[in-house]
Amino acid sequence: MMSRMHSPEETKAAMHEVVAEMYDRIVKGEPPTMTLPVRTKTNIGFDQKLGVYKYGKKKSVRDATSLGSAKQLLRALHVVEFIEEMLDAGKSSTLREMYYISEAWGLGKFGSQNESNNLAEDLEIVTKCLREDFKLRPEEDGARMIGNLTLRERNRRGEWMRINARDDVGDSGYGVPYNVELEKIELLEHDIDFIMAIETGGMFDRLIENGFDEDFRCGLLHLKGQPARSTRRIMKRMSEEWDLPVVVFLDGDPWSFRIFASIAYGAIKTAHISEYLATPSATYLGITADDIVAYDLPSDDLSKKDIEALNAELSDPRFADSWWQEQINMMLELGKKAEQQSLAKYGLDFVTETYLPEKLNELGLA
Amino acid sequence: MAGIAQKLASNQKQVAISEFFEKNKHFLGFDSLARSLITAVKEAVDNALDACEEARILPTIRIQISKIDTKKDIIRLVVEDNGPGIPQKSIEKVFGQLLFGSRFHAIRQSRGQQGIGITGVVMYCQLTTGRTTHVRSKIATEPTAAVVDIGLDTRKNKATKANAGREIWYQEDGSSKEHGTEVTAEMKAKYQKGRQSVWQYLRMTSIVNPHAEITFIDPEGVTHHWNRVTERLPTKVESIKPHPHGIELGQLQRMVSESKDLNLNHFLLNNFSGVTNRARKELCKAAELEGTRKMKTIKGDDIRHLLEAFQGERLCDGSPAKLLKPPTNCLSPIEEMLIKKGLSKTIDSRFVTTLTRVPSVTQGNPFQVEVGLIFGGSMASDKPVEVLRFANRVPLMYQQGGCLLTKAIESVDWRQYGLEQAGGKGVPKGPAAILVHLASTNVQFTSEAKEALADNGEVMEEARKAMLEMGRGLRKHLEKKKKMAKTKEKFELINDILPAIAEKSAHILDRPVPELAGSITKIMSAVICESTTVWNKETKQTDIEIKLFNYTSRVRAYTILATWPEKAGAKIIGNKTGGRKEALGVWAWKLDALQPGEQVKINYSLTGLERGDWTETEILFRGSQDVIGATKMDEKFLEEIRRQEKLQSEEAVVEDSSASGEIAQEAIPEPIVAAPEGQRTLFGGDA
Repeated sequence: MMSRMHSPEETKAAMHEVVAEMYDRIVKGEPPTMTLPVRTKTNIGFDQKLGVYKYGKKKSVRDATSLGSAKQLLRALHVVEFIEEMLDAGKSSTLREMYYISEAWGLGKFGSQNESNNLAEDLEIVTKCLREDFKLRPEEDGARMIGNLTLRERNRRGEWMRINARDDVGDSGYGVPYNVELEKIELLEHDIDFIMAIETGGMFDRLIENGFDEDFRCGLLHLKGQPARSTRRIMKRMSEEWDLPVVVFLDGDPWSFRIFASIAYGAIKTAHISEYLATPSATYLGITADDIVAYDLPSDDLSKKDIEALNAELSDPRFADSWWQEQINMMLELGKKAEQQSLAKYGLDFVTETYLPEKLNELGLA
Repeated sequence: MAGIAQKLASNQKQVAISEFFEKNKHFLGFDSLARSLITAVKEAVDNALDACEEARILPTIRIQISKIDTKKDIIRLVVEDNGPGIPQKSIEKVFGQLLFGSRFHAIRQSRGQQGIGITGVVMYCQLTTGRTTHVRSKIATEPTAAVVDIGLDTRKNKATKANAGREIWYQEDGSSKEHGTEVTAEMKAKYQKGRQSVWQYLRMTSIVNPHAEITFIDPEGVTHHWNRVTERLPTKVESIKPHPHGIELGQLQRMVSESKDLNLNHFLLNNFSGVTNRARKELCKAAELEGTRKMKTIKGDDIRHLLEAFQGERLCDGSPAKLLKPPTNCLSPIEEMLIKKGLSKTIDSRFVTTLTRVPSVTQGNPFQVEVGLIFGGSMASDKPVEVLRFANRVPLMYQQGGCLLTKAIESVDWRQYGLEQAGGKGVPKGPAAILVHLASTNVQFTSEAKEALADNGEVMEEARKAMLEMGRGLRKHLEKKKKMAKTKEKFELINDILPAIAEKSAHILDRPVPELAGSITKIMSAVICESTTVWNKETKQTDIEIKLFNYTSRVRAYTILATWPEKAGAKIIGNKTGGRKEALGVWAWKLDALQPGEQVKINYSLTGLERGDWTETEILFRGSQDVIGATKMDEKFLEEIRRQEKLQSEEAVVEDSSASGEIAQEAIPEPIVAAPEGQRTLFGGDA
């Protein structure tokens, strides 16, 4: 698999283009600007070639005519300068560290960490570099993984370690590092039939305790809610390099639908690197709106926010196909949502002995 | 309301008055243990303030409350003032006799209109604890203070006195007191905290008496202090004679029977305000009475006819007798600036607007409404605004809902002025306090308890108008604040952020730092006005600076106008930019054309003001393009100012010019109406 990383020189040159846009505007006697793709669902489109959703052609211009955007531009300059320093010194920092370092940037300091994260993404998008190129690490930790699969990870001493995610790990499984690129991780071999991504830690642990990974010959991956980039990246790599199906087992609510969309089609926030993070072949296993009825699951009423989210999804291009439209409308009609763990209504083994086998059977995986 | 006491005075013998009190103490504010204490403080403090005012002394008042017997709720109240003192002989009258003094007959604004005052306290103490009230008073011309214990024989309406003597009045610092009065009373009462408390009463008193220094030591020994914020004493009020429109039959009967005037002509001219010589003739004609009739011969129906003529029910040649309005110098408004100071010292806030309406007349009684609104600061934003009601500078603390002043507040839709108000009705919510003060020679209460003002269309209308005008001031302030915040942001943008962007981008690209002028013009693309109004401690002046920047790509020309408190006596000095006076309290500078990127400064100072008098200058402009930070001149504004100006100068001149005839002029001692000072401000909160 080809690495998407850029050399420090390439990275710098790309960042200088952003800076030059501001500089040249001032020279022309105009307010400085930074041009970005529009980052909302109105500007994502399906890329036939890549099979994922990418940003479209809509651009937004952030110009320094209001204090807020002017400060954004100044911050971007500080970040560029900071990244250049790190590139020159061969260092890296976390996004959180950068947020604290910005304390010293006076007028260019960040108001919240969210701001610094967003700006790093902005820079990625306009420069087409990755934050790994910028030497910026995420704070979020990656997922946990269990199953009969073997990989090689280069540890901090630079030595390659061979790890089997069933035999060489404890009950908490193999911890996926933030960088899962080739220079850090190599996928060696496996003896599994598919990968199952699970939303909650409780369900992940239930399946492990019940020996589901061995009984059904699968790799289990704990997503920890909205999955981190590295989680999505390693899922994609396993799916492509080992040619394994990926099934996704989530709660049955609008937010889980979003998680699935970001796994399978690409997240709106990271649509610039969708082809690098998304697993188009992933399948939504459950909990579906039908499941709530079919299994008579204990459920909660949809909140106002849930309903808003479902309605927003109806107009989201990623949910445009008929299956999703049907599921979303059904959930709206039911007015109910259910958690994965509501399956425990029928006992602790119900999920592994009845529910999942039935669902996997539908997909031809069990 | 004088009604009840009048009834007492005229129809009953004094013997019954004390008994009446005993039976009706709830009318007089002694109905609950908590309220009794407030009433006692109120009577003593009112007396102190009135005495100081009459003697033109800046009052310093100390109130101490201590619990003597918690089980039996016995409380000791000590009120000490620095007033002129009371001569020994008068002490027992002041403290021991109901209806002392001539306040009933004098028509003017005074605090203790009812005249039952402090005697009620003495009586209450006597009734609840059996104890006498200790009085110590010293006048400046005597070396020692008179002391005496006053009790009351409620059957005989006579003071009982004991332990009378004289002593040197030593103060805490060992010096002897020059003049003043100290009352020590012990009564059954309860000390409470909160909205209806002694503390609140004193706080409110201090708001409307910014010239007073008040210290309060509560039963827990905590000292509360309200500073004096002005050396200006309230305007001395003149007594006026009753106006024919405000006379009732009983009063007229008494006036006629007590008259020592030569004849009806003299009676009318000497005893009433608003009666000119012509009016006298018309009144006589309307009442069908000969002006030369001796007073003794005027009886029964004659008096009724006279009253009907007064009230315009009997006509003279088809129309009511033409009377002048009563003079209004019998009123003592607190005045805008002092209300502002009073509010500011008591309540932490961001914005104060105050307004004193021009005096008006209802049923022959002059009255004047003043309002104040204080906004922001540490006040709670989710609670109803605090309503501060006053009648003749006396705080009203009970029956808020039934009071005319509250109704006036409730009649305004405050939502349009930036306060919350459910359905546009009721007392609004928000971080604000609203003050309403009615100054009148005859305050009409809903009941003898004198806690709520009775409905009166004219007073209501005045109060409502004042609220609306004040509301506009608040809205303007809030809008201005928003605009100013935006302007401030723009300045931060071009002064700090843009240069930083230029510098940093040049540094990263290793190119020269670019010129900013072009970008700045594009970013601002406006003419901006900044102004500051600051008190200069050294010069004791208020310094004003107005800056105008042209951040557009064209040449701009403007006339800039600024408000200043001319009516309050302020003078503009050090104004090197020149200009001219545009109207009362409005100065104008016609500026030369401003080139793109150019700025101009106007500096001047105001003298004749105290600190805090003037904290915000309103900047207006004339010109075709908008100026951020200034208001476009509404020429109607100017017209209104000029109209008011004209009205006031006319009023000062049009004092009875038609008088002629057989009665000599000096027989008509009509007080002259002086143009009231600091009347009203057209620019909301800027006074």
